[in-house]
Amino acid sequence: MKIDPVFIWTAFVKLLSALPMTLFITAISVGAGLVIGSIIALLRIYKVPVLQHLAAFYVTFIRGTPMLMHLFLVYFGLPALIDAVSGAFGWTFKSSSVPILVFVLIAFSITAGAYLAEVIRSGILAIDKGQLEAAYAIGMKTPQALWRIVFPQAFAVSLPNLSNSLIGMLHGSTLAFTVTAVEIFAEANIVATTNWKYFESFIAAALLYWGITLLIEKAVAVLEKRINVYNRGGVA
Amino acid sequence: MIKLSGIRKTFGKQEVLKGIDLIVEQGDVVAILGPSGSGKTTLLRCINYLERPNEGEVAINQLKVNVKRASKQDIHTLRKKTAMVFQNYNLFKHKTALENVMEGLVIVQKLPKRQARELAVQALEKVGLGGKLDEYPSRLSGGQQQRVGIARALALNPEVILFDEPTSALDPELVGEVLAVIRKIAGEGITMIIVTHEMAFARDVASHVVFMDGGVVVEEGPPHQLFGTPKEERTRQFLKRSIQEWSYSI
Repeated sequence: MKIDPVFIWTAFVKLLSALPMTLFITAISVGAGLVIGSIIALLRIYKVPVLQHLAAFYVTFIRGTPMLMHLFLVYFGLPALIDAVSGAFGWTFKSSSVPILVFVLIAFSITAGAYLAEVIRSGILAIDKGQLEAAYAIGMKTPQALWRIVFPQAFAVSLPNLSNSLIGMLHGSTLAFTVTAVEIFAEANIVATTNWKYFESFIAAALLYWGITLLIEKAVAVLEKRINVYNRGGVA
Repeated sequence: MIKLSGIRKTFGKQEVLKGIDLIVEQGDVVAILGPSGSGKTTLLRCINYLERPNEGEVAINQLKVNVKRASKQDIHTLRKKTAMVFQNYNLFKHKTALENVMEGLVIVQKLPKRQARELAVQALEKVGLGGKLDEYPSRLSGGQQQRVGIARALALNPEVILFDEPTSALDPELVGEVLAVIRKIAGEGITMIIVTHEMAFARDVASHVVFMDGGVVVEEGPPHQLFGTPKEERTRQFLKRSIQEWSYSI
């Protein structure tokens, strides 16, 4: 086997054009996942009638099935649903006018939401109830107490797990290539086939993913240090 | 004036409070004594609805909150009129001493930040922590944390401060500094209800002492009467045992 080391660099540069797409998919799915996950976590913690069971079902179903499955279910199922609803109401709207990327983002947000729900739930449960009571005792309402007292600390506790999920979604975003979204992995595939240099292209892609992951790890470490100032020192 | 009438509370099948009536006059310092499990902490927590009673009415001056008709708004109003000092301090761990005290002033009372800061600094100076404004709770001793807790309650200028065993989690060495602070603010005419195991403190500082056991008020009265000439046999037993505790010699 012959390796063309120079081509690794050539491929790497070419892959950079797909970097924004990867970052976009990751950022949107994790961002939306945080919102979904927070809602799911609160529904379960507050044991909201009926909804808590739906929330629990969502978490176990999504975590119990592969991420690629979510993508396919949304990618093949949602357009049919949209067309059926559109037809039933006599709208002219067709699912074919929805960009593929939208289905990718919906599917991955659903995936991320289930995993993040558990991360957020564990973070919230780690904050002792006494602080919430203290917040109530000074006259705060539940949303104020959650937003100002519980969430900031739950976030700090959850940071290591959140970075895990973020990195997981970054790597999971490669699956978007299966429905023709051109992110780094798809671009690597294109570079590989057009140049007949598979190994070099995928080494370049691996390096790029690793590089982004290192940056995430570094950023989280800095954030963790800053955010945890209050835990430092002395008697706890 | 604070008036509790017919407060009942059950946890599962166990009836913890069996119909408590209590009147606390403006400026009173009421100490609630009693063995563990007598329901004194639960009673205190019923006053600001951290525990929702099953029956009864909590009245603070004009505001009357009956369990049967208590809305979220009623409970919220009740909490704004009261403040609480907890056994485990329950400071907001991600906020400095100053921020802990300012939080209620800014978020609940909607005071401008500058004014809130002034009040918070005053309160912290009063509890002797003027030099620890920017410290996080993790860097303070238990006694200091509890004093921040007291400042947080004090700054809100509530109609009553509820103390839930404020010294029970402290090292014996640190109890004194916290009691000294409570004694000082008791002298300023703030209405206080204190659940405590510190007998000597209750005798010296309280204007009215309540002895609870088994979910009922067994006896109440001014401290000299309750400690000096208790009427009920149960009170005598309790005091005897508690007073013996102090005189252990090894």
